[in-house]
Amino acid sequence: MRNKRLLGAALLAGVIAAGAAAAQDVIRVGAPLPITGPLSPEAKKQQRGYDLWAEAANRSGGIKVGSKRMKVEIVYVDYQSNTPRAVQAAEKLITQDKVNFLFSPFGSGAAKAASSVSEKYQVPTIAATASSAQVYDQGYKYLFGTFTPNDTLTEPLSDIVVREAAGVKRVAILARNALFPLAIAQEMEKSAKKRGLNVVYFEKYSIGTLDHASALSQIKSQSPHWIFATGYTNDLILLRKQMADQRIDAPVVTMIAAPAYQEWIDGTGKLSQNVTSAAWWHPAVRYKGKDVFGSTEAYVKAFQAKYGALPDYAEGSASAAGAILQLAIEKAGSIERTKVRDALAAMNEMTFWGRVQFGANGQITSLEPPVFQIQKGKPTVIHPKSIRQGELQLGVSN
Amino acid sequence: MLYLQILANGLVLGGLYACIASGFSLVWGVLNVINILHGSFIVLGGYLAYFAYVNAGIHPFLSILIAIPAFFAIGYALQRLMINRIIAAPVLLTLTLTFGLDLMLSNGMILAFTADFRKLVLEPPLGTLAFGAVVLPIDRLAAMLLALALTGMLYLILSRSRIGRAIVAVRMDREAAALMGVDVKRIYAATFGLGAMMAGASGPLLVMIFPISPLGGPAYLGKAFVICVLGGLGSVPGAMIGGLVLGVVESFGSLWFGPEHAITLSFSLLILMLLFRPHGLLGRKGYE
Repeated sequence: MRNKRLLGAALLAGVIAAGAAAAQDVIRVGAPLPITGPLSPEAKKQQRGYDLWAEAANRSGGIKVGSKRMKVEIVYVDYQSNTPRAVQAAEKLITQDKVNFLFSPFGSGAAKAASSVSEKYQVPTIAATASSAQVYDQGYKYLFGTFTPNDTLTEPLSDIVVREAAGVKRVAILARNALFPLAIAQEMEKSAKKRGLNVVYFEKYSIGTLDHASALSQIKSQSPHWIFATGYTNDLILLRKQMADQRIDAPVVTMIAAPAYQEWIDGTGKLSQNVTSAAWWHPAVRYKGKDVFGSTEAYVKAFQAKYGALPDYAEGSASAAGAILQLAIEKAGSIERTKVRDALAAMNEMTFWGRVQFGANGQITSLEPPVFQIQKGKPTVIHPKSIRQGELQLGVSN
Repeated sequence: MLYLQILANGLVLGGLYACIASGFSLVWGVLNVINILHGSFIVLGGYLAYFAYVNAGIHPFLSILIAIPAFFAIGYALQRLMINRIIAAPVLLTLTLTFGLDLMLSNGMILAFTADFRKLVLEPPLGTLAFGAVVLPIDRLAAMLLALALTGMLYLILSRSRIGRAIVAVRMDREAAALMGVDVKRIYAATFGLGAMMAGASGPLLVMIFPISPLGGPAYLGKAFVICVLGGLGSVPGAMIGGLVLGVVESFGSLWFGPEHAITLSFSLLILMLLFRPHGLLGRKGYE
């Protein structure tokens, strides 16, 4: 009996030792995501992006750390679309799961909330879906973001509209009352006013709104030339449908962020025609990079081979977060957190995502986000010139 | 003119709300069961219509006819096999049971349909009707008519048919009804079946209007709560009135206080009703 127990203890000790040895050869990256709850479609995109990167990194033998190669493992935790739980999840990943690095939870709000945890434990953290300036204004040293500030979307968009649609003078803005959708709506207001456009309507709707009819009736009564609405997939499917319900037409209709997603195009059908949008990346861009994917073309091909669909900017950004982390680790030649942090701060490299260089606040400064329009059910790039697929078409009707 | 359009918006939204709430109100009023599953039944009805249309080209109006017997059967069986076992227990227990069943159903739907938002896009669309400058979408009008038709049908069942009279009798006094020879368990099952049927029948209409996802149920459930308290528990015409009142209040509230306060307003209304008229607009005092 006693011998058996001893044997058991020895076995257990052996297993633990083996586990510890294995753990040393693996780089663990924590990813708190809203796997269940209303944001779960977004979490799925993030997971697809991260998984594709991890697979690519491991297939090439792992990440080069000095003279050896280490495999990478992503540790997911579900925070159920509940931001306070995202913060707890980040803390659990760092203190209990002992991850080496962290990817931020989804969106600007949750990324900001969780960034104080990674700062406290000095864990380099990459935010793949946080663009709002308010996320990066806390003086933190360990947070890096792959999205440029919101005005890099509204500025080129406004330039194009003012240049190509001379009659556009009156702008109506309707924003979801959440960090990113509201912040980009406020940037839009600034961009419009800067160009002498008249903002005739600016309102917010709350999260969980099931009806936009009243807001749209008010917008219609102002007869705007440009309707700018922000929100996520379900909000903007409903908004577009209710615009048709009230026969609201306008020369220009812009929606951010949903039209880049196939679900939005499927959910609106023909009503998607001529709706404009902007995003931080598009599978049509063509960059050659030093990252694990090598080029945008190769990345898109790898994504299609694995998932049978084109990657959108959210999926691309998640893969980019991984590829950037890998570049930083390889540059640092170590998985020591402060060294990797310094390598990220000093980075200036081309990747499939575009040039990667972070500002002093940690947010990327080097991207040129494309503007696109849904034409015949397909996102068509209309800016920048180098990757243009078509011209801006005026008139969104029902 | 703007006010007329806002009023019209409110009324057609109210029709949708009545659709959402009437079955919930019936089950709560008669069985004293707060059916947390109600929202997910609506979503499931929506998926039924979505896949019928996408895969077989079946118009959502026809799907309603499929949903009616299917959901009645599901509801009847559920009450007979599970909920009846604890129907005499405190209300919190039945709530917990339906909450658990709801978790299973919504997670089952995630597995079956994925969490992506989907919306049924009719080709050609139903379109809109214009009365002067006031524009009304036909799908919302249809939802309002359906709510009216189902409400009328329920009213007829409850007031004319034998089983309807039995449902009312059980609601008034369970013991006395049982002593008169009413098979209470069967009546409970029939009532729950009718409630599920109302939810399932409104799903095909809602999927033409709202993008649905497996986790969309609670949003409908929240509205149903407010409408039931407004209209009075168990009163089928009450759900109709409550829905219309809520729709109009939200529409004008959104106009006057901004769209971000529409939801705040509906829940403030709920609190005020509970404070000053807890039996609702059409409910009878002391019924609960």
